[in-house]
Amino acid sequence: MDDDDLVARIASGDDAALRELFGRHASWLAVRLRAVLPAADVEDVLQETFLAAWRGAGGYRPQDACGGWLWGIARRQAALLLRRRKPAEQAGTALPADLADRDVPDPAETALARADLEVAIAALGPDGSPEREVWRLMYEQDRPVAEVAELLGVPPGTVKSRAHRVRRLLRAALRDGTAAEGGAR
Amino acid sequence: MNVEITDLTRRFGRNQAVDGVSLQAGPGVFGLLGPNGAGKTTLLRMMATVIPPTTGHLRLLGRDPGAYGPRREVRRRLGYLPQNLGYYPGFTVAEFVEYFALLKEMPAARVPAAVATAVERVDLGGRAKAKLRTLSGGMLRRVGIAQAIVNEPELLLLDEPTAGLDPEQRVNFRALLRDLGQRATVVVSTHLVEDVGAACSQVALMDQGKIVFDATPDELTARGTEQGTGDAPLERGYTAVLAAARS
Amino acid sequence: MTDTDPGVPEAPADVDLGRVWISVAAQVWRRQPGWLERTAGRLLRSPGLARALLTTPSLLLPWLLTSIAVLAAGAAATTDSGQPLVALVAPAVAAAAIAYAYGPGMDPAWELSCSMAISDRMVLLVRALAVFAVNAVLGLAASAVSASGAAAAVTFGWLIPMTAVCAFALAVATVARSANAGAAAGVAAWLITVLSGRVASGHFAAAVTDTFLFLPYLAIGAVCAAIALYATRIPRGTLR
Repeated sequence: MDDDDLVARIASGDDAALRELFGRHASWLAVRLRAVLPAADVEDVLQETFLAAWRGAGGYRPQDACGGWLWGIARRQAALLLRRRKPAEQAGTALPADLADRDVPDPAETALARADLEVAIAALGPDGSPEREVWRLMYEQDRPVAEVAELLGVPPGTVKSRAHRVRRLLRAALRDGTAAEGGAR
Repeated sequence: MNVEITDLTRRFGRNQAVDGVSLQAGPGVFGLLGPNGAGKTTLLRMMATVIPPTTGHLRLLGRDPGAYGPRREVRRRLGYLPQNLGYYPGFTVAEFVEYFALLKEMPAARVPAAVATAVERVDLGGRAKAKLRTLSGGMLRRVGIAQAIVNEPELLLLDEPTAGLDPEQRVNFRALLRDLGQRATVVVSTHLVEDVGAACSQVALMDQGKIVFDATPDELTARGTEQGTGDAPLERGYTAVLAAARS
Repeated sequence: MTDTDPGVPEAPADVDLGRVWISVAAQVWRRQPGWLERTAGRLLRSPGLARALLTTPSLLLPWLLTSIAVLAAGAAATTDSGQPLVALVAPAVAAAAIAYAYGPGMDPAWELSCSMAISDRMVLLVRALAVFAVNAVLGLAASAVSASGAAAAVTFGWLIPMTAVCAFALAVATVARSANAGAAAGVAAWLITVLSGRVASGHFAAAVTDTFLFLPYLAIGAVCAAIALYATRIPRGTLR
């Protein structure tokens, strides 16, 4: 039974389907959350994620990837958890009222965005592959196209098309929220 | 010592079902073997405070169950699986386990998590909301085990718990017993000698209302080396002891 | 829960997925008691007792609907014929209901119930009282609906014989350890009482209208209640 069927059954109240979904997805969600949160928080977020999945399965559309849907819920729950905790710690940083909430990025969001990005970069391919190299040189090290072309020993046109491919892959990965191992079967 | 029994007897009319039994059990798994009619079930019923003894002393979890207050305290910390457990066909697995958790006066706030733990421990997680009438005999037996362990009892009494379980389930069950036996006293009454050997640290053999053997499984095996019939070492010990007791 | 298929990565070592699932399952599998059960739980100061009460066979909807139907028929017949049929029928209905509040014969998990912290006797007491109260209310409603003129004595008078018959049914049920026996005995005893009333004084309603019978009824009721109490003190062990 594929993930879409499972979620459909969950929507109709089948708790055994939720259990099966948990068995399939809790592991990789835990791994991804653990990169950002301490273990105890990961457990709390996972609990809230699957309870939210149980309650909200009716809103799932099959064209969403199941993994992406679950990660989306997990992300929101993690952000909620962090937001509930952080205010106490931020109290000491005396930010002027007009700066807070606008220019300063929310630490929770930043942490999660970073986790998302790391996973999306991994989706570009293994270390050393053409796309990863382009990403590293052009976007992480901020070099111009001509320099990257020289370093890699390929024509600038090739660099540009690879960069285009990198952007496309990243956009897709960030939107779906899936990495190779967590994708829908 | 969670169980201290001294010279316990129980008579039904002219039938002396339990005839002067003394034993002690602390944490660990304690096996109770014997042929049908030996008095195992009656002994277990007395330990479960279902029936009072006719004579003798019984102390459970450091209390005397003869008085109402201590008996209630014992029952809150007790788990019991009778040999014949009926079920409520319209209840689901979770509802059945929850019902007895409530009757054992578990604090209501702790009940949902305790029920979930018990149901998963007996491997019925995929059927928690299935109605009992849809379950097989072996599954019903596991539901019975679940209700017995739901309150994490200090004294767990199981009468023929493996009836209807297939070999793989019996292996899981023995692992569960060993786990429970770390903190609690688990008394397992069974006529399946192999069940005992694998999980119990202490074994008692009953025949005609009396205890005829009370030691470790290894010692029971040792008794079978000379005479005793049977395919397995424990079985030989079992038959040897019974033969000696009856001669 | 820890089975993994080779494609799924292992969870981090310090994250206990088993515990996470248990906390999810606890919420998903939990039963939400209705307002009646919650109220009963608060009144009785015991959620377990409330649950046991609301699972009484004779307090379940099918039973209640049947009782209402029987009493309604009695009310209709009373209005038609002037005979206080409700008064004659109500005690029998109540007696059967009370017998079915009792365990053996009706409760398949009877032996297990005898090892519970909330004792089977307590459950029986609460159930019997509730069943009696419910049947009294239903009977009174049926009587009130069909009351005509000087029927006031009959409208309430049958409560006393009803108490006696219920206590008798319960005593038989607990002594015989069978709800069916109790129900049968209760209904039979009531029939005999009504018929002997008819024979003695010429009309059926004698059983409920002759006030000199009230004291004997109450005495019988008290004796039977004592018998039921005694019979449940020690559950019999001959369960072979």
